[in-house]
Amino acid sequence: MKNRLKMLRAERNWTQDDLGKRVGVSRQAINALETEKHDPSLDLAYRISVEFGLPVEGIFENPHESPGRASER
Amino acid sequence: MPPVSHSSTTAARNYRIRTALFLSGYVAVNLAAIFGAFDDMKSPGTWVFSLVVAAPVVGQIWALLAWMRDSDEFVRALAAKRFIAAAGLAMAIASAWGFMELYARAPHISAAMIYPLFWVAFGCVSAFIHTTR
Repeated sequence: MKNRLKMLRAERNWTQDDLGKRVGVSRQAINALETEKHDPSLDLAYRISVEFGLPVEGIFENPHESPGRASER
Repeated sequence: MPPVSHSSTTAARNYRIRTALFLSGYVAVNLAAIFGAFDDMKSPGTWVFSLVVAAPVVGQIWALLAWMRDSDEFVRALAAKRFIAAAGLAMAIASAWGFMELYARAPHISAAMIYPLFWVAFGCVSAFIHTTR
């Protein structure tokens, strides 16, 4: 799942390990999210969302939303 | 080392300790058997002894599953995917060999070898399975 995790993390000068500790997962899990090897559970997505102070869809791209539908809103 | 590289957590440390304990027991019982400690044993003692030898294997499987339970969602999902693929591969190889024993007179291999075979299969599939998707 495409996401802005790496960029958001870099803006805050957090390492993968830092973010992992904040949301309660391993550094490997954060790396897997950033490299799109793992799609987060809803629970983890919400925990990350709280940590960055952004809505989930501000971090993770909704793969089921077509550009046309997004512009309708 | 745990089956997914993730060595710094409590779950990983528990896994290493439990595996070392169970495998030590396994080696100790088998060494004792090799050096004849149980040569005079008769049934039903031999049946009980066989289960005692198998117990550390059951324990190690429990250690693996407990490690998966206590890991984060990525490690758990990746390990589960590898576990399922490895179990399938090991069952397929064991079944094929069993039929070769029946119909092609292949040499007999103990069914107890399924466990080391599973770990060989786990190593092989881990080289290809890197995502949880």
